[in-house]
Amino acid sequence: MIFYFLIAPAVIMFIVSFLHIKIAQKLLPITSFFSLVSSVYLFFLDMPYSIIGEYLVATKLNSYILLVSSIVAIGVTLSLITLDKHVDISTQSYIKFYRFFATFWIGLIMAILSNNMGLYWIGLELATLSTVYMIKTNTSKHSTSEAWQYMIVGTIAISLILFGIILIYSSAKPILGEDAMNFTLLKENIHLLKNTFLFEVGFIIVSIGMFIKMGFFPMNLWLANIERASYYPVAALFSGILESAIIAGFFKFSSIAMSVNYNHVFVFVFIYVFLTLFVVSFLIFRSKDFIRLFSLSGIEHMALIVLFWVSGGYFAALLHFGAHAFLKPALFLSTGVLESQGKYKIAGALRGYRGFKGKAFWFLVGIFLLGIVSLPPSPMFFSEIYGFGAMIDMAKQSNHLILMIIAIVLLLFFLSIVFMRFIQIYQSMKYEGKEEDKKVYASEIFSFFIFAISLITLLLPSTFTYIRSIYG
Amino acid sequence: MISFYIGIFLATFIVAIFATRFFKLLFWYALNSAVLGALAILVGLNDADDALVVSGTVTILLKAFTIPYVLKNISKKFNIQRDIDPTIKIHYNIMLIPAIIVFTFYLVQPFGTTLGEYSNYVAISISALFLSLILMIEHKVIAPKIIGFLMLENSLFLLSITSTGGMPMLIELGLFFDLMIAIVIVNLLFKEEVVK
Repeated sequence: MIFYFLIAPAVIMFIVSFLHIKIAQKLLPITSFFSLVSSVYLFFLDMPYSIIGEYLVATKLNSYILLVSSIVAIGVTLSLITLDKHVDISTQSYIKFYRFFATFWIGLIMAILSNNMGLYWIGLELATLSTVYMIKTNTSKHSTSEAWQYMIVGTIAISLILFGIILIYSSAKPILGEDAMNFTLLKENIHLLKNTFLFEVGFIIVSIGMFIKMGFFPMNLWLANIERASYYPVAALFSGILESAIIAGFFKFSSIAMSVNYNHVFVFVFIYVFLTLFVVSFLIFRSKDFIRLFSLSGIEHMALIVLFWVSGGYFAALLHFGAHAFLKPALFLSTGVLESQGKYKIAGALRGYRGFKGKAFWFLVGIFLLGIVSLPPSPMFFSEIYGFGAMIDMAKQSNHLILMIIAIVLLLFFLSIVFMRFIQIYQSMKYEGKEEDKKVYASEIFSFFIFAISLITLLLPSTFTYIRSIYG
Repeated sequence: MISFYIGIFLATFIVAIFATRFFKLLFWYALNSAVLGALAILVGLNDADDALVVSGTVTILLKAFTIPYVLKNISKKFNIQRDIDPTIKIHYNIMLIPAIIVFTFYLVQPFGTTLGEYSNYVAISISALFLSLILMIEHKVIAPKIIGFLMLENSLFLLSITSTGGMPMLIELGLFFDLMIAIVIVNLLFKEEVVK
């Protein structure tokens, strides 16, 4: 029953997309609000709650990720109301966008709530494929080639994930049979595994597939190019929802792999993250437009989430994940207004706003911009403090404390480059350039308010307690 | 008999890499899928695994007939470029392909013994995976890249048959469903380009 409740908003969205576009535009935020209601409902159930047998299970982790994604979905559907005011989009493309958004949502629910590796992959693939067409709603020549590129690179990444899943399944099948696909059972019986080498190879391949999808080293630019080529709500969906589904998978796979050989997982992930942060920080320093800036910053934050997670800072990783999922889509959605005078016009982008809506816009976007670089009291500030603290705690238990401190100092150096660039950009947006009139719509302000309230909620002691309880 | 099918499976991959016409590439893909389906049925019958027999049958119907037919129609309808000269020269490919196949046999060695009777086939399925990546890389036009993706999916199916004796039925059906969605999206993307 709860399953129908969860997918009902997506089905309604799909049906509504066949109606007149004006009706659809107004109805869709309401349907996406229903998805939030169904996600909240999961919190009132005894967890783990079986939604469909052992295949779809609501756990504390899944429910948290789904709730965050549902809030992002509301923000995106609200900003979609005024998409045609900022960009040139045909009615047909608009309708198709909604149709694929519904498909995307079904895939996402499957991926996030899945307790089965195969089902997780199917959900992720469905979500990936539906975003291909969303990129194509932008009819420029550049976006056409980027949509194809996304289709190819995305499917290579997702095929690598399937390849890894097959190897993991193959390593565990002798002890668990067909249940080897089940995350919970695999984790419970991992000590019985004989072929750990095959499992680890599988995990590494799954991780590489996920890292490609998240834009980690050496695939740093493909995601930024695609987000630049598509309309800004697509970029918000990528950063706030699709990447949440990927990271949900990483959490599940890595928690099993860490039980097999913690050191291997940590060293592998650490090297990957270190290289990613090194490259991304300099790319951010050179970025000249908002979308690329936010996209690369998204990669930086996903890398930090992954690093905190494997360092044992589960609370820090989940808090950082929540903050990133709210801040980044909000920033991407703001580019509709920020770039209304041109793609590369950073100077003066936060000037020229009048009236309540205008002032609320620059105030909220200013806060989001400063929040993303972890200025207190941003939740990211706390997550980074807890995350780096967890890394030091972990190093204390080994003989590599000094090495870890050096590594943290280097990571902080990379983060300071990002910080410096964002502050430069903020100052340029606020104090440089000409003052040009920009139009902000009520639905956009409403969506930013939702993101702002969600961020404040993340800072509440009760939220901290809940996030802590997810992983002990 | 299984070795015979695996041999043809690998041969179709190699020939596909050298294909210079789109319809020929489609033919090699169809043959590759038909052999894969037959292989799944054979392994399924050997192991008395009904799910694998069903998967094999669906593979033949879907991948050997329906998808090539749909893609052929799409290419005619939207007048897609059918000259698909590979960017990697033939003499480089002649050296590259055996190197990949030999390399994968070494790659599988550490866990080969635990995979039982099909360990060599696992090496072949991994080499097929690399070959399909070559197919995607070596073409500049999009149509053969799509075939590369579909053949990549075939190599993963072979890997699942040989290393695990087949994935659970529900997952296999989900994979087929995703494949159908992929074809729908490919169709839509081409359509949009033509409309533009």
